[in-house]
Amino acid sequence: MAYDPNVVCFSCKFGWDYVSDNKPETKVPENRVPVVCCGKVESNHILEAFKAGADGILILACQEGDCHYQDGNFQTSKKVYLLQKVLETFGVERERVRIEMGLDPEGARVEQLVKEMKTDLSKLGPVKRF
Amino acid sequence: MWTTVAKGPAAVEAAVKQLLPPCQVQCPINEDIQRTNVLISLLPDDPALAKQGIIQIGDYLYEKNPFFAVCGYVCGLCELECNYQSKGGSIKRRLLKRFLADTYIDYLDRKEELDLIKHKENIAVVGGGPSGLMAAWHLSKRGYRVTIFEASDRLGGALWLIPRYRLPEKVLASTCENIVRLAGIDVKYNAEMGNGKLSLEKLQHEGYSAVFMAKGTPQPRALTFMGAEVEGGDLSGIEYGHTFLYEVSHGNISPNYFKGKKVVVIGGGNVAFDAARTAKRLGGDTALVCLECEDKKSKDGIPADHEEIRGAWQEGIRTIYSRGVSKIFGAGNNVSGIECPKCTQVFDDAGFNPKFDVSDTIKLDADLLIVTVGQGADRAALQKDNLLDERGRIAVDPITMQSLNREWVFIGGDLRRIGFMVDAMRDGIEAAESIERYLRGLDVREGRKWTLESQDIPLRRYYLGEPEIEWTPPEKRMHFELFEHGFTLPQAVHEARRCLTCGPCLSCKACVSVGIQNSLSEVEVNADRCSGCGVCTSICYYGAAQSKQVEGKRKSFTDTFKCKSCGMCVVACPSGARELVGDPMHARINEVYANLSGAIGG
Repeated sequence: MAYDPNVVCFSCKFGWDYVSDNKPETKVPENRVPVVCCGKVESNHILEAFKAGADGILILACQEGDCHYQDGNFQTSKKVYLLQKVLETFGVERERVRIEMGLDPEGARVEQLVKEMKTDLSKLGPVKRF
Repeated sequence: MWTTVAKGPAAVEAAVKQLLPPCQVQCPINEDIQRTNVLISLLPDDPALAKQGIIQIGDYLYEKNPFFAVCGYVCGLCELECNYQSKGGSIKRRLLKRFLADTYIDYLDRKEELDLIKHKENIAVVGGGPSGLMAAWHLSKRGYRVTIFEASDRLGGALWLIPRYRLPEKVLASTCENIVRLAGIDVKYNAEMGNGKLSLEKLQHEGYSAVFMAKGTPQPRALTFMGAEVEGGDLSGIEYGHTFLYEVSHGNISPNYFKGKKVVVIGGGNVAFDAARTAKRLGGDTALVCLECEDKKSKDGIPADHEEIRGAWQEGIRTIYSRGVSKIFGAGNNVSGIECPKCTQVFDDAGFNPKFDVSDTIKLDADLLIVTVGQGADRAALQKDNLLDERGRIAVDPITMQSLNREWVFIGGDLRRIGFMVDAMRDGIEAAESIERYLRGLDVREGRKWTLESQDIPLRRYYLGEPEIEWTPPEKRMHFELFEHGFTLPQAVHEARRCLTCGPCLSCKACVSVGIQNSLSEVEVNADRCSGCGVCTSICYYGAAQSKQVEGKRKSFTDTFKCKSCGMCVVACPSGARELVGDPMHARINEVYANLSGAIGG
């Protein structure tokens, strides 16, 4: 079977996919963690994801200057940058943690973004373990 | 579009409204500005879907404020207190409301009538202006049978004096008609109080258990100089601003009526500017003379809105500041000009007390004078109805609107105190509450006065500038069509997203109402773990994370009113002392992680 990387996606509910289709029972897509603000995502959550078997983490944040909670998206992009540096020293490629800033009420782009990330991760292969 | 808007945990709690965003504190009816701004910011790009959302937001606003469409054109008081003012410009709340109104007003005519059971007493409302309509709306919703007695042949009162280039006729007419249609309010037109046919006693005999008097201030104030009426006031060619605007709104004045005429408007309020800009649109060579000076910040500053002054200036209306009128000259029976001495002081500590320097006078030519220096109530009628105190003022409780002379009479709107449209609307809401309490035998005064406080602007890295509002250029707007351009959907969403939501979550709950959150979570601090380092206080944008001295040690805590539960402090806390209680994120993370294949062992 072809290698199918796991992508865990944290998505900001004020910027992405918030137009409900009037069906509260609609299931949240697998591997998606909707958050009220991406600023709530801790470094630990990302590390735990790798530990649990994720090959990559995609964070969907609000567009710049547009955070409902003022600067959550900025704090997260700062955190992602630093975390990438740390992970690299452990042999985990920086491409495995990605942040996308934007506004997408209907969530039309989410699937495509996950797919793109999976394609890139396929080239990297699974996380190297020590 | 959304599943729920205002039910269950998504409903706004009135009891906790002591702290509100500054715009809502400023708004006399404390409209839920923040909540509806957030809802606008969450509208989808798809116009058809967005329309559903707009109607839902509109329905929510309409419940409390059936005038919101009109507010969207003429109010904007909230913008004066917006925290964003100091950081790039107030949120254009008025235009956001107008944006809603542009869609909502068409829907309004099709809106279904309210399902009301009118099992309570008959109430008479005297005057069909914003105050009377508002009282009638809120009383009907509570089950009272309301009859409005309107002196003229249409509802809306003084709102009809607002020129159509600012407030389209359709918006006003539709707003008023639909209030009475939706709430099943009975209206009697051409029913003037105090002309012999209709009196308070008669209303009482006809079975009305309470009366709300909001018949406005139809009597224009005459021009005075040093305490006496100005000489020459009986010449022809002198009109009062109110009468003039009334005639224009009724279509009784033909276009170019003032062509080739010199028109001088006297007064410095918004009504004076309405009159001047209307006269200009009718072809007059128009100037405006006012006692007040140009500097709005000074105690003698001009009271008209900045936008009005700017608009008039663009349209070529000459404003002559700091001048009174001491004499009106005539040629034959007609006005030919005025004498204007310098005004050196408008107000002193006791109030309005103008002082003049008669050695410095100018003469202005005029074919027509429009006097717009205020208006007052029909005192004789009020005296007859026994509603005045011994000093000739209206005897009324300013909080409950109850007459001090007759307990079944309530007084509000301009009649009680001249103010903005929304002040009159507030009086209507308060009177409805008082009438309900009075008729149910409850304490009318208890718990009526709240102290409302607001919060400072949240901190953020950068703030965005205000959008540019487009006006039709003056050479193309000398007619009675709107000159201000409204927001498009993307513009409205962008502007609503700019709102910093400075108010507490409890008075908003927009996120809960659209399903972004199930409930509001709360930040808890584990005091044993907290080392008092203060990282949380430096990350919090709202000043909600604070620290205090507890038994000799520094400990952090959270001000729940200011807290938005964004979780920024939870992430920042180096010792894991902070936790979001009731936050479903961790459960979801565990669920997702448990299902990942190929976990790294150990």
